[in-house]
Amino acid sequence: MRIGVPHMGNLYIPLKALLERLELDFIIPPVNNQRTLSLGVRYSPEGMCIPFKLTLGNLIEAAELGADTMLMPSGSGICRLGYYAKTQEQVLHSLGYDAKIVSVGVSQRKLLGLLEVIKHLSNNAPWSKIISAFRFGLTKLNILDEIERAVQKVRPIERVKGTANQLFAQAVKATEQADDYQSLKRVQADYLEHLNQVERDESAEPLVVGIIGEFYVLLEPFSNMDVEKELGRLGVEVRRSLFTSEWTKFSLFLNPLGVNEKDRLHKAAMPYLKRDIGGEGWETVGEKVLHAKDYDGLVHLAPFTCMPEIVAQNIMPSTKENIPVLTILCDEQMGKPGMLTRLEAFVDLLKHRRRAKVKV
Amino acid sequence: MVKVGIPRALLYYQYYPMWKTFFEELGAEVVVSPTTTQATLSAGLSRVVADTCLPVKVFCGHVLALVDKCDYIFVPALRSVKSRIYNCSKFLGLPDMTRAVIPECPPILDIDIDINKGKRRLYQEIYRLGRHLSRSPLKVRKAALAAWQAHLEYKELMVNESLTPPQAIARISGAEIPSHNPSQPAIALIGHPYLLYDELINHRLIYRLEQAGYRVLTPEMLTAEQTETAINRLTGQPYWTYEEEVVGSGGHYLESGVEGAIGVIAFGCGPDSLMMDMVQRQAIKLKTTPFMSLTLEEHTGEAGVVTRLEAFLDMIQRRKRREAELCV
Repeated sequence: MRIGVPHMGNLYIPLKALLERLELDFIIPPVNNQRTLSLGVRYSPEGMCIPFKLTLGNLIEAAELGADTMLMPSGSGICRLGYYAKTQEQVLHSLGYDAKIVSVGVSQRKLLGLLEVIKHLSNNAPWSKIISAFRFGLTKLNILDEIERAVQKVRPIERVKGTANQLFAQAVKATEQADDYQSLKRVQADYLEHLNQVERDESAEPLVVGIIGEFYVLLEPFSNMDVEKELGRLGVEVRRSLFTSEWTKFSLFLNPLGVNEKDRLHKAAMPYLKRDIGGEGWETVGEKVLHAKDYDGLVHLAPFTCMPEIVAQNIMPSTKENIPVLTILCDEQMGKPGMLTRLEAFVDLLKHRRRAKVKV
Repeated sequence: MVKVGIPRALLYYQYYPMWKTFFEELGAEVVVSPTTTQATLSAGLSRVVADTCLPVKVFCGHVLALVDKCDYIFVPALRSVKSRIYNCSKFLGLPDMTRAVIPECPPILDIDIDINKGKRRLYQEIYRLGRHLSRSPLKVRKAALAAWQAHLEYKELMVNESLTPPQAIARISGAEIPSHNPSQPAIALIGHPYLLYDELINHRLIYRLEQAGYRVLTPEMLTAEQTETAINRLTGQPYWTYEEEVVGSGGHYLESGVEGAIGVIAFGCGPDSLMMDMVQRQAIKLKTTPFMSLTLEEHTGEAGVVTRLEAFLDMIQRRKRREAELCV
């Protein structure tokens, strides 16, 4: 048995750590690239969303490398994601790969579901081993996200554009290679220090733009054409409340315990959207209401034909709390120059607004 | 008398007799929007973002047609009608979305239907809905029971007499429906009722098939057992509400000896992009029944639909002729 996993941002790093520690045979397919997308698009049903296409591409590439057991998240009541595994398995079979998809029910079984799947895959490894491997993976995840938050702050104000991105790429590699807690701690301290040292324009007051929307396109830079980097290049500070570590933390640990940071967002969205509509639709509306005062603008990312985000997109213009929102729909037809033009125009608009505010 | 408006779109075809009975039992007058016209569609699509799917655009048009004609508009949020099976986001957020895109809309009567939250919660929701019209819980209870009875009879009527929802609704209100000839060759239409029975958006698909000499079979004519076995065969556990309309009926009709099956979906429909794919895969695997998938959107030209339909029917004819020759 050889395990294959799909990509989502840097999630492969903690997963790799976890599987390595359990001494399992596994394959991490190449990170998302044009070929992944082409494969995914070619074998997907016509109207599918980009997360499906990219993850399908990953699974095909994993199958090419000999993986026969694929890990996919699933569940019920959470948009199309819950149906992915069924269709992807059929596609793999029709391509002649004898692969099995193991679905991890994130919506109902939470942490327990994931741990049970790992236990099953690892041929009944002792719980102590599973938990220690899991903890190590999580540490990597937390460190990566902490460094990324620092990068988001530095990007808009660095003197030499691209320094922070370069450092981040190195940090990702270093985190991937670290294989004990000590070296991990060192990587974390080193890179945070490096980022601190980056020469910056202290007088700059960058525009603040929040990134909201569907979690896969938010967390997978390939699918949103590096929208965060591009905004950083335009001198905009990006804030994102959704990080892989937060997502894992809440969906796996805290929600089952009854702690839910999303409650705050839901409460804010209440006057406009009273009920959960699956996916991140409720949170998207909530974030707009909540951040209308403290951000200059919002970039709303959603896959083309994403059902919850379309509902959110329809509701957002009617809120009393007013803030410019740029909706970018991500799919394989999206071109980078088109997106850049829209981003530039949006940033210009925000600059104007800020100047007008200062004058008043 | 209080007037309650019901848009002739989306869930209307599944539940109209139930809703009508409920509101009339509570002493309200039910106003249904007229059938879809180009104007309905244009009005609807001017209100929502472009990516919204066609049925929801049509729905908004129908709500706009009811503004000024009633005191309340009934827009349910139907989340789940079977344990752990959920509906598309657009149905879940329908009342909120309607309120957001049509601010001039009369007060919306909404009801959250989610069977997973337990029967008690469902009863509370029904009372909450009924309270707008009657203060007496007993009266609401009586109306709800009568509504449920009407719904069961409606379903049974469609299955027993092979009627489509518009025909069954007409029959309930006393109209004569010409009975069809069971020996006629049949074509199965697969898809959600709001696509199959809205003559504007599907360009009179049923009428055209009947003109060509075929009997049309639709998902509503199947029993729950028939669709359930088909779903089990194709995908195992159902995932979406109304999966029986697509995977269930598709799976069943592909093996039922019909001349051909046409899958109708709306462009950009999330659940259908997966469900119709399952049916298509099954059709390819079985190779017994010709299958055509028809995607509808507001730009679909009538001529395009007609051409494809003609080509499909010609193909069926050719196939039959060839089979006949082989037998000789």
